[in-house]
Amino acid sequence: MNVGVAHSEVNPNTRIMNSRGIWLAYLILVGFLHVVLLSIPVFSIPVVWTLTHVIHNSTMYWFLHTVKGTPFETPDQGKARLLTHWEQMDYGIQFTSSRKFLTISPIILYLLASFYTKYDPRHFLVNTISLLTALIPKLPQLHGVRIFGINKY
Amino acid sequence: MLKIPWNYSKKEGSFFPCPGQQSPNKIVHWLFVGHYWVQLCFYCVFQAPAYHLILEGILILWIIRLLFSKTYKLQERSDLTEKVTESLLRNGSQNHLSLQYQRSTLPPTHKIVVNGNECINFASFNFLGLLDNEKVKNVALASLKKYGVGTCGPRGFYGTFDVHLELEDRIAKFMRTEEAIIYSYGFATIASAIPAYSKRGDLVFVDEAACFAIQKGLQASRSNIKYFKHNDMDDLERLLKEQEFEDQKNPRKARVTRRFLFVEGLYMNTGSICPLPELVKLKYKYKVRIFLEESLSFGVLGEHGRGVTEHFGVNIDDIDLISANMENALASIGGFCCGRSFVIDHQRLSGQGYCFSASLPPMLASAAIEALNIMEDDPDIFRKLSQKCQQIHLALHGISGLKVVGESFSPAFHLQLTRSRGSRENDVKLLQEIVDYCQNRGIALTQARYLDKEEKFLPSPRIIVNIFCIWYSASLSASQNFIVK
Repeated sequence: MNVGVAHSEVNPNTRIMNSRGIWLAYLILVGFLHVVLLSIPVFSIPVVWTLTHVIHNSTMYWFLHTVKGTPFETPDQGKARLLTHWEQMDYGIQFTSSRKFLTISPIILYLLASFYTKYDPRHFLVNTISLLTALIPKLPQLHGVRIFGINKY
Repeated sequence: MLKIPWNYSKKEGSFFPCPGQQSPNKIVHWLFVGHYWVQLCFYCVFQAPAYHLILEGILILWIIRLLFSKTYKLQERSDLTEKVTESLLRNGSQNHLSLQYQRSTLPPTHKIVVNGNECINFASFNFLGLLDNEKVKNVALASLKKYGVGTCGPRGFYGTFDVHLELEDRIAKFMRTEEAIIYSYGFATIASAIPAYSKRGDLVFVDEAACFAIQKGLQASRSNIKYFKHNDMDDLERLLKEQEFEDQKNPRKARVTRRFLFVEGLYMNTGSICPLPELVKLKYKYKVRIFLEESLSFGVLGEHGRGVTEHFGVNIDDIDLISANMENALASIGGFCCGRSFVIDHQRLSGQGYCFSASLPPMLASAAIEALNIMEDDPDIFRKLSQKCQQIHLALHGISGLKVVGESFSPAFHLQLTRSRGSRENDVKLLQEIVDYCQNRGIALTQARYLDKEEKFLPSPRIIVNIFCIWYSASLSASQNFIVK
C-alpha cells in the first residue's frame, strides 16, 4: 500500500493486509508482546509462550473474524457492513499471499509454543483450542458462514 | 539473560554464549550447545505424546498445502440466471412508443402545436400554467443575463450561487419545514435521496404502484424491499406485523435494521391519493420512517398548494422526508427534498445526485423562485384548479368503453379501457388510435408509457389526462364533447 498516495479503492480494507509493511509491523508486535511477557518475573517460559500464543490468537480472532464493516464510510452502499475483515480481504479471493501469511503465522506460533512448553498436556489443550479459533474461521468453506448464528449481525 | 530454561541442561554449562565472556575452548562450548539441541529434539520425538506429534505433522502438511494452493474467487451469488440475462439482452426497446416523437413547435401552454396541428393541451404537467408566465420569463431572462446559462460545477465545487440558497430557503418556508435541498434533475431527486438513507440490509415497505424513480432509487439502495398492495393499509399492516414478529425472534438484527415506508402523494401510475393519516398512524405504531414523493401533488393539492400533507391536514413534521420535482406544477427543472435539518443535511454529503451533478442553472432557480412567488401571492389558483378538475372529471365519467381512474380533485387522472381487448398490445394499439383520433381533431392526449421489462408491477395501459387551471371554459366544453365521441 502506498501511504500518502491517492488510491481508487472502494474499500481500503480489501488490500491493507497486502502491504509488506503491515506484515513487518505484525511480526514486530508479536515479538514485542513476547518480550513484554518474558520480562514479567512470575511467568515461567512455558506460560509465557502459551500466553503469547493465546493473546495473539484471540486478538486475531477479534480483529479478523469478529469486528465487521469498515472504520470509514465506503461508497459501496454498505456492502462490507456484514463482512468481517477476513472476508473483505482481497475482495474475498482465497489463498492470496496475505491470507497464506496470516494462516501460517498462528501455526508457526503454535509449533513454537508446543516446543517450548515441552509438550505438556495442559498447555497443549489451551494452545490447540486457541489455534482452532484462529484457523477454523479462515477456511474458504466458512467464508460468509456464521456457524450457529454466532456473530451474525 | 532473562531466564534459563530447562534445569536438567544446566550441568552442561551456559549454552547461550555471552558476548563478553571469552570461552577458553570455543569448539567444546559449541559442541555442548549442539549436543543440547540434538538431545532436545530427540526428547521431542520420543517423549512427546503421539497425538501431539500427529497434530503437528498435520499442521506442517497444511502449511505445505497452503503454500502450493492457487488463488481462486468464491462463486458469487447472482440473481440473474443465464436465461434471464440473454432475454434481457435480446429484448432491446427499438420500437418503443417513446421513441416516436411528437414534434411541438410552441410552448405547451393551454394550447399546443403538435406536428403542425393546434391542439388543446391535455398532455403536459404544466398544471398552473406557469410555463408561459410573463413574470417568470422576465425573471429568468434577468437571471440569465446576470449569471449565464450553466454552472459548470457541483454544489460543493463553486457551483453554489446565491439564488440556490435563496430557492432552498424559499421552498423550506413555503413548505413550512426546517430545510430544503435542491437537485438539478427531477428524476434523480428521489432516486438519490432513497439510497442516501436506506442501505444494504435495511428494510423498505413500498407501494406496488410506486413510480419508476422510486423503483430505481430502491434498486440503487440494495435494501430489502417489501411491496404492499396499492393503497391497501391492511396489507401494509400485515407486512409490518410480520416484521414485528421477525424482530422479536431476532432482536440483535432488528437493532441494526432501519425501516422505511415509501409512498407517493398522488400516484403517477394510478392517479390515486395515498391515505396519509393512516400511514402516519402506522408509522408511529410500528416505528418506520415515512418518505413521501410529491411530484404530482406539490403545487396542486391543499389550500396553498403545499401538497398532500396540507390536503389531509397532517402535520408536516410527522413526515420524515418530502421530495418533489419542480418540473410539473412549478414549471422549472430539478427537484427538491424538504424536512428537518437533521435529516436533510445528510444528503449534502450522501445524496449522489446532489454531490456529483453540476448544480441547477441559476436561471431555472430564479424561475422557480418567481413561480413560488406567484403561488404565494395568489392561492386562489389552487381552488380554481381543483374546480376545473372536478368539472372535467364529471364530464368524462359517462364515456362508453373508457373508465376514469383517479381522484376527482387531482389534475392528472387516467382513462382506461373498461374491457381489455385480449392482450396488452391490442389495448395499447386501441388507446393509441383514440389518442391519434383526438389529436387530429385538436386535442392533445398522451398514453402513459412504461419500460415494460423494467417495471416491477406493470400498470395496465392508460391515457393520462392533465388539467390546467388556465383553460377557458369555451374550449373546455368543446374538448369534452370530442373526447366523449
